[in-house]
Amino acid sequence: MNTLTTIDELAFAPPLEQEVLEDTTSDHALLEATRTGDEDAFAELVSRYRNQITSYIYRMTSDYDNAVDLAQETFVRVYRARDRYQRSYAFSTYIYRIATNLAISELRKRKRRKLVSLTGFFQSTDGSEPKELNPPDCRPLQDSELVDAERRNAVQRAIGTLPEKYRAPLILRDVDGRSYDEIARILETSEGTVKSRISRARGFLREKMRAYL
Amino acid sequence: MREIKCETVRHELEELMLNDECSMYVTQHMRECGDCREFHQKQTKLRQIVGSLGTVEAPPDFDFRLRARLANESSGNGIRVMQWSFASKGFAAATMMLLFVGGAVYVRTIMNQPAKQAIADQRTEPPQPPPKPVENEARFDNAPSVVVSDNFSRSVTKERRAPLSKRPTLATVDSGVKSPLLFSDAPRHSAIFQIDASASLEPFQVSLDDGRGNARTISVPTITFGSQRVLPKANSAQKGVGVW
Repeated sequence: MNTLTTIDELAFAPPLEQEVLEDTTSDHALLEATRTGDEDAFAELVSRYRNQITSYIYRMTSDYDNAVDLAQETFVRVYRARDRYQRSYAFSTYIYRIATNLAISELRKRKRRKLVSLTGFFQSTDGSEPKELNPPDCRPLQDSELVDAERRNAVQRAIGTLPEKYRAPLILRDVDGRSYDEIARILETSEGTVKSRISRARGFLREKMRAYL
Repeated sequence: MREIKCETVRHELEELMLNDECSMYVTQHMRECGDCREFHQKQTKLRQIVGSLGTVEAPPDFDFRLRARLANESSGNGIRVMQWSFASKGFAAATMMLLFVGGAVYVRTIMNQPAKQAIADQRTEPPQPPPKPVENEARFDNAPSVVVSDNFSRSVTKERRAPLSKRPTLATVDSGVKSPLLFSDAPRHSAIFQIDASASLEPFQVSLDDGRGNARTISVPTITFGSQRVLPKANSAQKGVGVW
């Protein structure tokens, strides 16, 4: 075991080999290398985050093709802004924030487009509440795997009905398993707000998923 | 009291991660409170279902498409109008329109200014009786003016007909500053005013009268020539006289 004998050794101690290795493979180091023109470093960053970001945006938008496009746009923005990137917080926070902004703006665009819902076609004429289109399932009995798949689809649909301000924190917490602190940084809000939004989102989901609980 | 307790316990349960253990306080409360126990069970199940959504994988050609996209980005660095949003396009169009209209109004204002000034001058000038033909005499009131007599008109006419006439046509006279305001024939079709250096800068009024009742007054705006200096003698029409 190495021991330091003087104060100079303490101040100018050579970095440990393990530290150097960790540093070169960290997200910050990879982005730094990208800045100097190392395309492989950027490819490594992409391979680390492509699934996470695609998945996150897919949970937000419920549209796979769109999610892939937006995930690519996320990486393009990271690449474009590589010179302006600051190490004030984790790279994952940074990239998730970009992805969140893109997903939310996509959801707002959809709202503006006012997509026609099939619900409207099945609205009764007597003024009662509209009912979802739910044709009877005539398929043979499904095994447990299919039941699980159906349940997942139901959750995905239920998440899709949440207001966007509740959707993002819920996905980040319950699907991605991120801490409140990180979620607060990603969404640029306070931790208390994040907690309260997640609590409300779960309340909504409990109501919608009552049949599955 | 119990409701407050339940609220506190549920709050704590909300904040726990799925695999975290509850505190002793919460565990003890849930043993006694069926509602909170049910809440905890439903909550756990819901979070398990949501957590089971897992990660969706990116397509295999994700990297390839991304590289192509980045290559396109780097190849086209110019401003791409086609990629602008609707709002940006509208804003750009409105700005262009505003600039165009503003430019048109400005040009129109500039074009109308001399005409308006002339109209204003005409309005401010009191109607003057046609000046009587005075031979060999120019009158000076406030502003230096030249009255050209019939001789001049005729001489000019003659000169246009026969430009070789060299004799001085008319000496008009008093400039009010005790120096003669000379009017002479110019070579060819023009005439040269010789104005004393000490003449005032007020605008000239030249009255022309052909002696048959046709009179005309021309206002000549003040013209400055920058620094005033006496031209060299070589340029003067009359040798030995310093002229402007």
